[in-house]
Amino acid sequence: MTEPTITDFESALAELESLVKTLEDGQLTLEKSLELFERGIELSRYCHTRLEEAERRIEVVTERGETRPAPSSLTAREDE
Amino acid sequence: MTGRLPFDEPRSGLAPRPAPGILPRAPRRVYTVSELTSSIRLLLESRYAEVWVEGEISNCRRWKTGHLYFTLKDGGAQIRAIMFRSALRYLRFDAEDGLQVVARGRLGVYEPKGEYQLVAEHLEPRGLGARQLAFDQLRRKLAEEGLFDAARKRALPALPRKIGVVTSLDGAALRDIIQVLGRRYPNAHLVVSAARVQGEGAALEIVRALQRLQRVEQIDVVIVGRGGGSMEDLWAFNDERVARAIVASPVPIIAAVGHESDYTITDFVADLRAPTPSAAAEMVVTRKEDMVDRVNRAVARLGTEIRRGIDRRRVRVQATASRPGLAGWPARVVLLSREAGELTHRLGDTMRAAVSRRERRAHALGLRLEALDLRRQLAEIRTRLTTARTRLVRRAGDVCTARTTQLAGLAGRLDALSPLGVLARGYAVCWNDTRTAIIRDSAGVTVGDAVHVTLHRGELECDVRKTE
Repeated sequence: MTEPTITDFESALAELESLVKTLEDGQLTLEKSLELFERGIELSRYCHTRLEEAERRIEVVTERGETRPAPSSLTAREDE
Repeated sequence: MTGRLPFDEPRSGLAPRPAPGILPRAPRRVYTVSELTSSIRLLLESRYAEVWVEGEISNCRRWKTGHLYFTLKDGGAQIRAIMFRSALRYLRFDAEDGLQVVARGRLGVYEPKGEYQLVAEHLEPRGLGARQLAFDQLRRKLAEEGLFDAARKRALPALPRKIGVVTSLDGAALRDIIQVLGRRYPNAHLVVSAARVQGEGAALEIVRALQRLQRVEQIDVVIVGRGGGSMEDLWAFNDERVARAIVASPVPIIAAVGHESDYTITDFVADLRAPTPSAAAEMVVTRKEDMVDRVNRAVARLGTEIRRGIDRRRVRVQATASRPGLAGWPARVVLLSREAGELTHRLGDTMRAAVSRRERRAHALGLRLEALDLRRQLAEIRTRLTTARTRLVRRAGDVCTARTTQLAGLAGRLDALSPLGVLARGYAVCWNDTRTAIIRDSAGVTVGDAVHVTLHRGELECDVRKTE
């Protein structure tokens, strides 16, 4: 079985939770529950990555809709 | 009533008022209608070039030209009024029937119709302030459009890729937001869209700042706001254009205007209202922390569940193994093969014992009878062997096969040992004269001895003629 790709955090989390529920409720074969388990691990890894991945960034959007790093006065102040 | 007398008098009392000194003396001055109207106009317009008048608005209509026509009235009189589009633009509330106002303006006379009216420059609501009135009116209007409906409100994204902020670059609001996020959401990605948040033109700047953010990709939520201030300072957030820009936003908007107690139109129309900018940032943070919790909980449950699944199966395997009949399979196999071995042994012993018994009995009773009996018994033994083999094979499987084969071999050997078999193949048994011993060696016999020979069928009584 080919795993569907994970598109975004919210649906990954929703799938993970429903999968856990299926595991808890269902009388599944060992085979099937291991399959779900593997998928669950995959999903949770994705979620963790998404939760941790981004770096702290502060940008300012210009009149033209382009983003520039925020003036240091803003970022510096926040570190204090 | 007395107040009306000076007006009533000239009309009703035109005749009884002779003014004797005037009419006869001056030459008669006859005006044209235009002259008189023009004269009245000059008089009124100079005399009432700036006038304040209080009354209730009625018959209020806005024309296609954009001008507003209405009547101001009180208990005793009314005056027509017009407010031109140019002046109307600065009005912060909508003039509407029933509204008690103070109008500032001048009197104007429209000569073609001989009508005079108040040309209003400004209206100020009585009682409530103009702002409050404008606020109430806009609030009612937007509510009627359903823009405050709970069903319209969107939920915060689980994990915003970027967080938009519309506020002033040097305000306390931005500082507070950055501080909260820095502490509890270290990997937040903020995109600030700067706007002046108070003073003339602030509303338009806020609208544009919102629109600019729409051009930035991956922004999943926007915080719009400013720190505390007077209602005057927060006024831009009561602007209809700002409200409509918020409605038009493709992503959820958190309003964070002023302090807890300040409510602006922006607060009503936004998807979420935060009491302060810090609180808005905390909403985003809390949402993210909830997500972390949910992921962790799900993972923990996943682990628990898979372990439980395996344990449950282990228990089942054990329960099955200990069920009678299958209990302790390996031990059972060993037991069975041992049984098989013993059985083989016992069979061998039985055979041997039987043979010697037959030998004795053959000696005592005669071989024929013995042979018959032996056959039957052999058949029985074979049957038993077969049964035993079948049982062994069935119950012990492969492990027992070797033993079974052994059994079969043994049976064959037994057959070979059987005197019956030997005799049938042409061998004979030679006994001494007294039939007490089988002669195995010619040395034990002398010429002239009598011997008995047992054949497959029948017996011979012989004399020994020669030994070798």
